[in-house]
Amino acid sequence: MLALITRRLMTAIPTLLVIILASFFLMRLAPGGPFDGERPLDPETQAALQQAYGLDRPLWEQAWLYVLRLVQGDFGPSLVYRDFTVSELIAQGLPISLTLGGLAIVLALLVGVTAGLFAAVRAGKAADQTIMMGATVATALPTFVTGPALALFFGLWLGLLPVSGTGEGVAWLIMPVVALALPVSGAIAKLTRAGLASVLKQDHIRTARARGLSETKILFKHGLRPALVPVASYLGPAAAGLLTGAVVVETVFGLPGLGRYFVQGALNRDYPLVLGVVTLYAALIILFNLFADLIYGWLDPRMREG
Amino acid sequence: MLKRHFPIFLVLALVMLALLLPFLLPWSYDQIDWEAVRAPAFSGSHIFGTDEIGRDRLARLAAGTRITLMVAIAAALVSLIVGIAWGATAGWIGGRVDEAMMRIVDGLYALPFMFIVILLMVVFGRSILLVFVGIGLVEWLTMARVVRGQVIALKQRPFILAAEAAGTPSVAIMWRHILPNIAGVALAYLMLTVPQVVMVESFLSFLGLGVQEPLTSLGILVKEGADDMDMTPLGLALPGGLLVMILVCLTIEGERLRDRFS
Repeated sequence: MLALITRRLMTAIPTLLVIILASFFLMRLAPGGPFDGERPLDPETQAALQQAYGLDRPLWEQAWLYVLRLVQGDFGPSLVYRDFTVSELIAQGLPISLTLGGLAIVLALLVGVTAGLFAAVRAGKAADQTIMMGATVATALPTFVTGPALALFFGLWLGLLPVSGTGEGVAWLIMPVVALALPVSGAIAKLTRAGLASVLKQDHIRTARARGLSETKILFKHGLRPALVPVASYLGPAAAGLLTGAVVVETVFGLPGLGRYFVQGALNRDYPLVLGVVTLYAALIILFNLFADLIYGWLDPRMREG
Repeated sequence: MLKRHFPIFLVLALVMLALLLPFLLPWSYDQIDWEAVRAPAFSGSHIFGTDEIGRDRLARLAAGTRITLMVAIAAALVSLIVGIAWGATAGWIGGRVDEAMMRIVDGLYALPFMFIVILLMVVFGRSILLVFVGIGLVEWLTMARVVRGQVIALKQRPFILAAEAAGTPSVAIMWRHILPNIAGVALAYLMLTVPQVVMVESFLSFLGLGVQEPLTSLGILVKEGADDMDMTPLGLALPGGLLVMILVCLTIEGERLRDRFS
């Protein structure tokens, strides 16, 4: 277990470095800079700004300095939100994005596994087909359609939930989390159903039945755990999907999370902000993949070695 | 046939409609009817009414569907070509090369890809060509994995071994024996890639990073509809519903094909 973690972390560092450097140089290839506003600045101001932010130095030197500072936890200053450092913006946005993503994955797991379980027990019957159809539709629901649709229905028409901003209490979380969780829960339901259907055909289940165990016990004690292996291997991609979905949801519901900063930063060519968010996202995804592998190992002991 | 494959026929019908509508409608998708700004549905020649600056909704839906599906098919083809080339090479050569090539695929899987695509869009300008090259380059990973698995399984089969023993060059074996045998599976995954790409393109367009005005796509229409939904919910419901319908239909057919071939 410990060996797996250390090995994964060892490969994570070069991966991260490659992502950071690739994004760094990609950003700098872009025509236009962060100081191209509505009115062009006079050349002297432009040069002074370039110098102040170190943009006049050779690219390699800038990249090297960036990585050096990053290691010390300094993401640099934001070029557009002039009064803030990128670290401050991330510190503001990250908790919101993590809350959204975390709640969404918990909700998706709860709904998805329950629905998949229910469908597998009723395999072939009408309930199974209905649930699976619903799951297929759910996976095809993009957050940028469900988000506004939910906001329109529950926010504007029924007036039950706040349409934008964070506000008091937890009501503001409901619609964003539901919009995020829907497609993921559909995918999880399908995986659970497929996993369980194949596990229930295996010998050890037949043995358990022959021994006269109750169906509930067979299902939860012997069936569910191996059936969840495919779900665990989906958690990595699911996390990546949730992070991208969060970009839309934060834009739609006007939440000051990381995703919104990312889009704003990309549109404004705020190099350090975009780089910082990409780096953070990459690190989060790598971390979550590791976490998913650990769950995987717990569910299927044969995987622990590899 | 028609009943069983209803989803795909529905999509084909929508495509036909999207292609034919420009010849049937009196309005083009970017033409402003100054007499009828925000017209409700079924007013005059505007079947679905007009948007907040007086453009015909139906014409815009048709144009958006055309662009979205065109980008999707082009990007899916890019992913097909790159995926087959990569996967087949890795599977055929095997050994260290295979391991290295698949490591790269695994590594790329772990990347926050959407963000890299967004970066690409920002860096190279938001041209429609780049939208699908960028998406195609992201979506080839699954194809590469599947094709590699197929090639490795095929390599052991007697007819391939016989062709090798007869001295057929690798390239010829690849073209004549391997590729025809993986075509079915590749087709199934191509079908599943299309809705993925539709999703990515609409996502980018929704954020203003994909297809640019005056061109339109379903993502842009959803965005426009969402911005104006308190005034005219139809503006959100139509493109949103159409998009979801296309995605659901393609996913159902793709999964069916995949289950048949694996």
